[in-house]
Amino acid sequence: MKIGFPRALFYFDYFPFWAGFFHRLNIEVVTSPATHRQIMEQGLKKASDETCLPLKLLAGHIQALKDVDAIFLPRMVSVEPDTYTCPKFLGIPESLFPAVPSGIPVLTVVLNWRKGKRQVLKDLQVFGRQLGKNKAEIRKAFTLGQEWQKRYQDSMGAGWDFEESIREIERAQKGLKDSASPPECGRGQGARTSTSAVSLKEQNTDRLRIALVGHSYLTQESYANLNLLGRLREKTEVQLVQHVSQEDVESHLLGLRKKLFWNHAKQIFGSGNKFVRDHEIDGIIYLSCFGCGTDSMVQELLAWKAREQHKPYMVVTLDEHSGEAGLVTRLEAFLDMVERRRVHEGYVSTYGERLDRDSNTL
Amino acid sequence: MKVTFPHMGNAWIVIQTLFESLNVEVVVPPTNSKRTLNLGTRLSPESACLPLKLNLGNYIEAADEGADTIVITGGIGPCRFGYYGEMERQILQSAGYNYDVVTLEPPNGSLLGLAKRIRYLAGTNNSWAQIIKALRFAYLKSVALDQVEDLIHAARPRLPNSMETEKIYEDAKKLLAQTMTVKGVQETVRWVKESIRESQEKVDTPSEGFNKPLRIGIIGEIYTILDPYTSLGLEEELGRLGVEVDRSIYLSGWVGNHVFQGLAPGYRSIKSYPGHAKPFLPHFVGGHGQETVGAAVKFAREGFDGIIQIFPLSCMPEIVAASVLPRVQEAYKVPIMTLIVDEHTGQAGMQTRLEAFVDLLERPRLQRGIGQTRGEVFGVGGR
Ligand code: SF4
Ligand code: SF4
Repeated sequence: MKIGFPRALFYFDYFPFWAGFFHRLNIEVVTSPATHRQIMEQGLKKASDETCLPLKLLAGHIQALKDVDAIFLPRMVSVEPDTYTCPKFLGIPESLFPAVPSGIPVLTVVLNWRKGKRQVLKDLQVFGRQLGKNKAEIRKAFTLGQEWQKRYQDSMGAGWDFEESIREIERAQKGLKDSASPPECGRGQGARTSTSAVSLKEQNTDRLRIALVGHSYLTQESYANLNLLGRLREKTEVQLVQHVSQEDVESHLLGLRKKLFWNHAKQIFGSGNKFVRDHEIDGIIYLSCFGCGTDSMVQELLAWKAREQHKPYMVVTLDEHSGEAGLVTRLEAFLDMVERRRVHEGYVSTYGERLDRDSNTL
Repeated sequence: MKVTFPHMGNAWIVIQTLFESLNVEVVVPPTNSKRTLNLGTRLSPESACLPLKLNLGNYIEAADEGADTIVITGGIGPCRFGYYGEMERQILQSAGYNYDVVTLEPPNGSLLGLAKRIRYLAGTNNSWAQIIKALRFAYLKSVALDQVEDLIHAARPRLPNSMETEKIYEDAKKLLAQTMTVKGVQETVRWVKESIRESQEKVDTPSEGFNKPLRIGIIGEIYTILDPYTSLGLEEELGRLGVEVDRSIYLSGWVGNHVFQGLAPGYRSIKSYPGHAKPFLPHFVGGHGQETVGAAVKFAREGFDGIIQIFPLSCMPEIVAASVLPRVQEAYKVPIMTLIVDEHTGQAGMQTRLEAFVDLLERPRLQRGIGQTRGEVFGVGGR
């Protein structure tokens, strides 16, 4: 059996779990290729107009899955206690049925950590029955999935690159068909113990240090974000949400009177808030997309923090029409401003420019 | 302490009653208007959903009248509404408004915490028995308001003089807002019934549409369907076009859910909706997304001629619902139109869309059976 896994949305962040899970069950998983123009166009055609860019991309990737026996579209309700993903994750797979090529069945399962591990396991076992797997097999597959996910998450702090880590996992899947040992973790292996980001002091001190925050499926989606991450990396040392340790995230959430109940929002705000307070970070870019409900709140919460601390802060809002020229201009203007500020250490006149507010749509 | 709260259609009548019966000073903000929206939009994040912008406008207008404490209900997601309270508090604070925000929800799941907040608002002069009595009475009013609305929905397409019908509605709301006795509430409902009957008797030759007007079910985001300013008078407009409307959610259902934490069913329960939605959307998606789908199925089964979904731009649960509604439309052969509103939506565009939709429904059934298309999405401004 060959299962198609779209390279979109939950792929960034949670693919390792599912890869491990299916690997243990001896089920082959194929992913769609990295986003290209045609995938984007197909997505725009089949997704509803009103939805956000990541969902449109998902619709495109679903159509790009060829020669598979089924397409896997999990309903990832929650990935940790007390939080949800986003309402749009909850509407998967039904909201994407129009994008599924006719004749290919959809496999789905509810993953809801709000109700604890037992419920997750139970739901997976029900799913397992459809796949012809017994409870014991599912339990083992779950354990391996957890292991791969953990390994992946732990190594994030070591500056791991997402695509690279996934390639490792994919290689492992092909090569280690009958072995359940987790894949080698790229160059992260030696530094897995690290708790927080790569120490910035070890890096080139001349370069600007920019934090790029936002949903993983935007910051890591280099086609849709017009290679923003790559462009930033060329000129600056980049820090991502994924580089911040869980303890740091949690401790920087404490100032909120009410807990954020979206998992991604928590990660983004917690690490963003840490970057705001981190003197080694020269500026923050919030990458969002048009129509994102959770970002509409979080980017504002973070903007207040940035303003309080006089940290340069820019919001980039993507949509399917975003043009390269606009991005480059804004990026350069922002980096120039950050650079100027660094030269006049402590000089805060740029504060009045309110770069975070008006016309942030590209 | 002067308490205020955000508007949502007729909800103010219920909330005002609640606080007044507890002798808490309350400021009802001026009704939603262009001004409210402008004031609110200025402070809101650009991509926030429309209800948040109106809420903020309400607070600013209420502050002019001396309000210093905001009461709002809460939630724990996954829709944005659950975070409104905290967002609004911070926005108002940074804009220099000195508001205390009390969110009526169990903080971190603690019912004791909720009780403390209620106690804080009600002061020490009210016993718990009094508080419960006040809640009961407020709930009773919300049910009466729903009954009145139902009657008006039926009256609009049937009575010849639309001004008169609206007058009955306005008067009934005024009466319900004022009365503080159970008897007064019941009498108002009776009065509406009688007034409608009287006007009905004046019609000697009922027009063709009199007995069997077109029926349209309205579904969508709760704030938009309950608040006529936000929906640009959707129900009234349809009534004028000779359509009898029904809607998925009524005020008392909301009161029952949010104020009574689900203990009171409301005038018309929304409990059956998830079951109806199951074949199309078997999981909740936050807000009332699943209810929207379920209500569409229910209306379709009951033989409604058409369905209109309405929601604010970027509303997450309703976008999910909107993407599965085409399958409901196909399964039941019922035309469904989606309307999306934001601060730029204009009356004229709305009206054109409604007229076209009603036109489509009025064509003989035979013709309609074939070539039926989903009413496309109403284009919104601002983009
Ligand atoms: S969190 Fe935002 S970007 Fe992600 S699916 Fe939800 S609305 Fe879309
Ligand atoms: S239901 Fe929609 S409009 Fe209402 S708060 Fe939630 S996201 Fe906003």
